Order: sequence, then C-alpha cells, then structure tokens
Amino acid sequence: MDDSAETKIRMGKSMNRLVLMFVAAIFLGLPGCSSRTPGVGTPAATAETGGSAKGDFGPPQGEPIHAVLSSPPNVPPPIHRDHPAKVIVELSVIEKELPISEGVMYTFWTFGGTVPGSFIRVRQGDTVEFHLRNDPSNKMPHNIDLHGVTGPGGGAASSFTAPGHESQFTFKALNQGLYVYHCATAPVGMHVGNGMYGLILIEPPEGMAPVDHEYYVMQGDFYTTGKYREKGHQPFDMEKAIDERPTYVLFNGAEGALTGDNALSAKTNERVRLFVGNGGPNLVSSFHVIGEIFDRVQQEGGTHPQENVQTTLIPAGGAVTVEFHTEVPGSYILVDHSIFRAFNKGALAILKVSGPEDKSIYSGKEVDSVYLGDRAGADLRAVSTAAEAHASGTLTQADQVAAGKQLFAGTCSVCHQNTGEGIPNVFPPLAKSDFLAADPKRAISILLHGRTGPITVNGKDFNSVMPPMTQLTDDEIANILTYVLNEWGNPGGRIDKADVAKARAESAEPAPAAH
Amino acid sequence: MQTFHNIGLAVAMSSILFASQGFASDYVALPGSNFASVLPAVSNGPKDAALPPAPVVIHAFRLRDEPVTNAEFLAFVTAHPDWRRDRIARVFGEARYLSHWQAADVVGAKAKADQPVTNVSWFAAEAYCESEGARLPTWYEWEYAAAADESRADARGDPEWRNRILGWYATPSNEPLQTVGGAANFYGVRDLHGLVWEWVEDAGSLLIASDSRDQNDPDKLAFCGAGALELKDRDNYAVLMRVALLSSLKAVDTTANLGFRCAKPLDGQVP
Amino acid sequence: MTITAHSAAPLTRSRSAITLLAFIVLLTMFTTASAAELPSDSIYRLDIPLVDHNGAGFHLADRRGRPQLVSMFYTSCQFVCPLVLDTLRMTERSLRADEQGRLDVLVVSFDPERDTPIQLKSVFDKRRLDSERWTLARTEAPNVRKLAAALDIRYRVLADGEINHATALVLLDAEGRIVARSSVLGEVDPVFVAAIRATLSTGARP
Repeated sequence: MDDSAETKIRMGKSMNRLVLMFVAAIFLGLPGCSSRTPGVGTPAATAETGGSAKGDFGPPQGEPIHAVLSSPPNVPPPIHRDHPAKVIVELSVIEKELPISEGVMYTFWTFGGTVPGSFIRVRQGDTVEFHLRNDPSNKMPHNIDLHGVTGPGGGAASSFTAPGHESQFTFKALNQGLYVYHCATAPVGMHVGNGMYGLILIEPPEGMAPVDHEYYVMQGDFYTTGKYREKGHQPFDMEKAIDERPTYVLFNGAEGALTGDNALSAKTNERVRLFVGNGGPNLVSSFHVIGEIFDRVQQEGGTHPQENVQTTLIPAGGAVTVEFHTEVPGSYILVDHSIFRAFNKGALAILKVSGPEDKSIYSGKEVDSVYLGDRAGADLRAVSTAAEAHASGTLTQADQVAAGKQLFAGTCSVCHQNTGEGIPNVFPPLAKSDFLAADPKRAISILLHGRTGPITVNGKDFNSVMPPMTQLTDDEIANILTYVLNEWGNPGGRIDKADVAKARAESAEPAPAAH
Repeated sequence: MQTFHNIGLAVAMSSILFASQGFASDYVALPGSNFASVLPAVSNGPKDAALPPAPVVIHAFRLRDEPVTNAEFLAFVTAHPDWRRDRIARVFGEARYLSHWQAADVVGAKAKADQPVTNVSWFAAEAYCESEGARLPTWYEWEYAAAADESRADARGDPEWRNRILGWYATPSNEPLQTVGGAANFYGVRDLHGLVWEWVEDAGSLLIASDSRDQNDPDKLAFCGAGALELKDRDNYAVLMRVALLSSLKAVDTTANLGFRCAKPLDGQVP
Repeated sequence: MTITAHSAAPLTRSRSAITLLAFIVLLTMFTTASAAELPSDSIYRLDIPLVDHNGAGFHLADRRGRPQLVSMFYTSCQFVCPLVLDTLRMTERSLRADEQGRLDVLVVSFDPERDTPIQLKSVFDKRRLDSERWTLARTEAPNVRKLAAALDIRYRVLADGEINHATALVLLDAEGRIVARSSVLGEVDPVFVAAIRATLSTGARP
C-alpha cells in the first residue's frame, strides 16, 4: 500500500470518528436546543388554550358536588379532579352593618356576609348550578354577574331576586381564569360601591401547581358622606362616587382587615400565591408588595404568566394571580402604589413572613451615615471613619473634628459660610463667637430646636430664623459642634453623642425642617 | 266556655277596630296635575330619547295618609277569614305571608299594632283596599305623592332631599320597623319615604329588563315592541330602587320591608 | 272522584231509606266540599267574569275540568300578538289529534276598551280559529290586572292606548294549577309541548 492510500485510510478512520462524534453531538444536543427549562409550576405548553371554543369538556360526570366556598382571606382547597362535574353553588346576599374603619360603621351589601364575598373555586368545563339567595331581612333586590359566565349579563338577567327569595341558573365554565363577580342591580355603582363583589376561580383542567399558601385579597373604593375616619355611621355618597373621589380605598372591605392580628402569614422559603381582585367601582389598582417581587404574574387573571414584576395593574372589575417565593423574614406591605391611597385612604395590607434571617440576601441597616447630596465635599470618609470609631468605642476628638468639618460643609456653611463668618445683619457668625463661648452646650438645643428672635453676637444684633436641624442624628450634631468649638478661635472642647441624646430626650421634637 | 271566648274575641276585635279607627288614617285629597314621571307614559323610540318625557296626567284622587298598620290588617282578616295566613290560597300569597305575626289571628309581641303591615302580597293588599271601597294607588299616583317634601309639591330637583331619601337604604334592616306617623308632606301624606316599600296597583307594569345595564339594547320581542322601560331620570336613585324592588316581585310574593296604602277617587266617583 | 253506593244483599225498607239519606247527605257534602276543594294554587280561585267572542258570559272557574292553554293579547297589537296566536296554534298542532281534542285554548285581552266581543269575533273569524276549543275573551280592567298577576304576565298600558307586555303561554291542568309556561315565540317549544303531553295523559298534575 502506498503512503497516500494509507493516509487516506487513516484519515478515513478519523473522519469516521469525527462524523460519528458530530452526529452523536447532534442527537444529544437537539433536545437541549428545543427544550425550555420549565419554571416552577408552569404548564409545559405555551400553546394557546383555545378559549371557550375548546372549553367544553362534555357533560358532567359523577355525583353533583356541593361547592365549598370560603370567606376572605382564605381560599377553598385546590381541585384534584380529572373530569368535569356538576357543581352546586349556594350564595346568599346579606345586607349588614360592619366597621369600615375604627369607630366608623357602614352598611355593606355582601355576598356571603363578607366584603369581598365568598371565594368560589371550580374547574374549567364544570357545569355550575348557581343558587342566589336574598336574605328575607334585606331591603333591596339583588342579582349577580359572574365574569366567568358566558351568557346574557353573566347571569344577571337570570338571577334578579327579591328579598326573601332565591333564583337559580346554570352555566358551563368554558374559560379558565380568575374572574370577578358582582351585583348588577340598578344603580349598579351603588351596589358595587357597597361591597357586592368577589372572585370565582375557574381552574385549568390540569390544576394549579402546589404552593405553600394561597390567599384572597380584593381591593375596593368606598364613598362616604363623612370624611376619612370620621366617626359614626356613614352613609354612601352618590355624588362622590360619580365624581370618583373615594373616601377609602381598602383591601378586603375595612381598614385593618389584613393588618395586625389579621395580617396574612407565611414562613421564609415558602411559595405564596395571592388571588387579588379589584371590585372598583371606579379605581384601577397599581398592586405592589413592598419588599417583594412577583416571580410569576398571571396578568388580569389570564393563562400565560409573566415573570419578575414589581407592580401590576388590576383593572376595576378585574383580577390578577401573583406568586412569589419568600426568602427573608419581615413585614411585607401590600399596597396600591398610587401611593396616597395606601397612606391616606387605607389601601394597605400586611404579609408577615417569619423565619431565620439571611444576611446574604438582605442585611438590614449596616451604616448610618450622612449623604450630603450635591453639597458634599470631595471626601466623606472622615464621617464613616468616625462612625466606625464610635461603634468600636475609639472615637477621638480629632475624629470628631474631621467628621464635623465635612458635615458642616454640607449643612451649615450655606448660611454661616465656610469661614464661619455668617452674613452681616442676616446670619450670625460662629467664628470667635462670644454667644457660643458663653454657653457651648446651649448650641446643642439650637441645633435640635432652631432659634428665632433677636440675639447679639460679637456686638451685632441679629433677628432671624434658624430652623431646627432634625435631620441630624446625635453623633452628627456632636461632631459638628466639636468642630465648630475647635475652629476659628472658639474656646475648644468637645461635645459627646450622649450629651446630645440627653438634650434631645429632655425636650419635645418640633416638626421637621423642610429640605 | 266557647261563648265567653268568642265574646272576649269580639270585644278585643272591636276595640282594636275602634282604636285603629281612632288613629286611623284618613284619606287626604291630592289635586290632579301634569307630572313628569321617571317612567315614560308613551313608548319613545331611540329617536325620541332626547326629548323630555311627555308629562303624565294625574287626576285628583284621595290617598291614605299613612300605610295600613298591623292592627288594621288584623281587623281585615278577622272580617274576611279567607285572608288569614292559615287559610289564604297559595295562589294569593306565598308561604311567608304575615309570617311576622305571632298567630293567624294575633299580631303578637314581635310586631307592634301601629307598625305598617308587611309580608303581604299584592293580592292581599288589593283585597284590603277593596274591602274599604278603595284600591291600590297606581305607580304614577304614588310617585306624584312621593315627589313632595314637607313644604314643596315637587322636591325632586333638590339633591339634598334626594340624598336624604337615599340615606334610608344605608340604614341596616336589622333594626325594628318604626311605627307609622312620620312627618306629613306637602299634601299631608306621611311615611312615603323611610318606612317601607309600598305596593302599587300596576306593579306588574314595571317592565324592567332584569339586567338593568341593557338599557340601550332592548330586546324588542320581550315586551311587545318596546323593549324594557327606559328610566328618564337616572339621578333619582331612590325612585330607581323602588322600581327595581317592585319589578323583582310577583303579585303573590311578600317581603319583610314591603307594605301598602290605599287610594280612592274623589267623593262620588267610582273607584 | 266517584262515590260508589254499595248495593249489597237484600235491604229492608228502613235500611234503604237510610242509605238513600246517607247518599244524599254525602252527595251534598261532596259537592260543597269539591267546590271548596279547588287546590290552593289553582287560579280558578280568582273570581273573574268574562265575555267571550260570541258575547256569552262565563266565569274563569267554568274552565275547570280540562287542561287549558292560556295567554293574553290585544287585537290592535301589530307586532307580537299575531305571533302569539300563531305560536299557540303551532303548539296545538304539534300534538296528536286525540290530544288536541282534550285541550282548550283561552286568550284574554289586555284591552277591554277596544276589544269588544264583536272585535274579538272578527279576529276569531279572520284567523279561522277552531270554535270547538278556542275562546277569545275580555274582562274589565281590574280583572285583567288580577288575571295577569296570577299568570305572571306583565303589561303596561301607555297613554296612547298602546300596550307593552311580556308574552307567555301558560299551561293549566284540569284543576287550574299552572303546570308549565313558555316565552318562546314563533316556534314550538319542545319542553313546553312535553309538559302539555304529560298533563293531557294524566288529566291532572300528580
């Protein structure tokens, strides 16, 4: 055999091996190309469900089931069923007086005695036999429109019920999702504004991924003739409702419904799912949980999730399913991030997460130092040095002076100037100040409480306003004063943090300075 | 023994009758008028919807100044035992008829004699009125009388007054019913607001779509050419709610917050 | 319901007299009892005098004894009312001949002012209704209200004389109880027809 032939054979063999390896790589690699790593609880398919056209799974099978309804914030247990069934739902309307805020009573019209109304949970394809009962002691007729119903009025046309009577209608749940239900009797806005709404969950046929906690929260806006937190029995105010000027914006129908002892709870390292609705009648919600990110959001209660969302919109008459995994303990506040609603109208709820800290994820406050913004001098290291030194008990006067100098530059020099000379007739001097020397400790209370009115410094009269420096902490005040006392011919000495703390404790705090 | 019992009953009945006639409501006369009702008197097609509603002509009539009370109704069922709750035919009154009374012939401790009678069906109310030569007022007559406040014949344009009435719905129903005898309105009629809903003769004419949001999409076949009623003054929520309540009821139904009063023509006319 | 008078073995004269007496007493009791025995939910408990298209007077309760198909209309109605009569006829014709023979049809006018017997007769003839079983009738306005209330048919008389009304075909059994109702217009409602069949075969609701 000649060389070239041998080479050819050798090359042929290695070629074969190469080809084999290449082909093997393709076969092994292909699944890697086409697969997605499924997220926790994600159904594998991203294909569309086909909506109502594909939502009829045939006639109900087996014995009729009496639906278990739950009161907020609890949710009925998940459904473990693989076939459509007939589900009987019995829901009563009860008009009752409940507190909307402490000392404030309101006549709510409720489904099931609560605001929001009872949570209904069925499976896509179920045939629901719906009984609406109007309690005999009620004054008003009522009906129900469930957004998950395909049919006239969402059931409202077939459920108009006088007090002391019951209506029944049947519908098939063709679409999966999380849906609002509400009363639709005229005037509709008034019925909704009085709390007549709730949620119905129509589970996908394959069920939902298990989580550690499921909770039911529903936002609503309320309109009373009296002001926010005005005590006594408050009636509904139609004018305010038409003008969309709510008095209260609340989760689950009352201030404090989900705070304090009523707060939602979970532990660290758990997965929490919230079914959140917005009954309106008017406002759209910017739903956010302070300190958490929604790992998974089914916007508007729909099917295909979004991930990693901070704040999600819930339309009036809409809902959303959010999920997140807890890592760190603490109180996580649910708010409508149209933020005045949270802090001035009551739109806040709390999820308390308990469990061990994890400093690698969230450390808590490490350094309490001053951020000087654009007044900052080049170097703030002296301030941090002083902070560390103070923490370790080795703070020297020199440290304080260095820190105080930098703080002075950011806070005091605006008026008293870098030279400490002040502005004649306007701001008194600190340099070689007889006023300061007369009583150095008096300066502490001037920084704490401000000073107005006439004073005489170095023979000159001043009559101005110094606002209280309540943004300064005790050690900042101590450091600034120590610097001033040791500069520009002032008598020297040092002020301790403890002196400042003592002076602060001995007096009441005024309102903070604008800054 | 039985005779003594009967005599005792007769005495009780007549004293109640006497007493009830003592408080008894009188019929007060209301003058006729052209009246702008929230319910249209002629069917307006969509092109007429922008026009103001044609006023309704209301002829002068007399109206009871207070709703019929438990005591008065007791006297009625005593005189007409077919209307006792243990004898009434199901076609005239449903199972909860007069359920708030202690017994078929005793009002009892839980209901007061001078509270308006409730849990009465349309048939029973109509029968009562007929028994005193009267009838139920029509919706228009009732609405006309109820448009008045203490000093004005028509206070409906006053939002303050409308809110006051709307406030009744805010009070919970678990408090005991008040007695009749509230402030008289411009015509001298009392308790049209704030006490109980009241039957009208043509409650069955309130053709409301049971889903009230359908207002602009009438199902013409449903009500023979008209679709459902379009309410003309949607700001008058109190009236809206009365229409809603009455239209949710069948003639045989009763509810705990629904009573009635009667109307008569002016003297000398046929009811 | 029938009474059987037992005629047993030879009776003495006194015994037969007593039996006869007993029979008469029972009969009287029975007839008065049977008038009072109208079921509690029978609409024949309403005392409504009517006049038919032939001008003959009758009472609503006279219809007792045979199942009735009842509805309400008025003759000057252009829109739906002709459809009411058509639907009644279609429904009737979907039954077998022998079934049709056991069912009566009664249609009462909302509008006694204009629907005089003569007017009713003219419509009757124009539509060629079956005089054996069909009756068009009128009654005074307060009774119209009561009948409509009992049948749960809502209507509204407008100022110009037009009448808006809901439409229902109501099936009464022989005792006057409402067995079924249908609002389907212009076609036959199979559920309603099934109810009619069931009522006709038993004669009364179980």
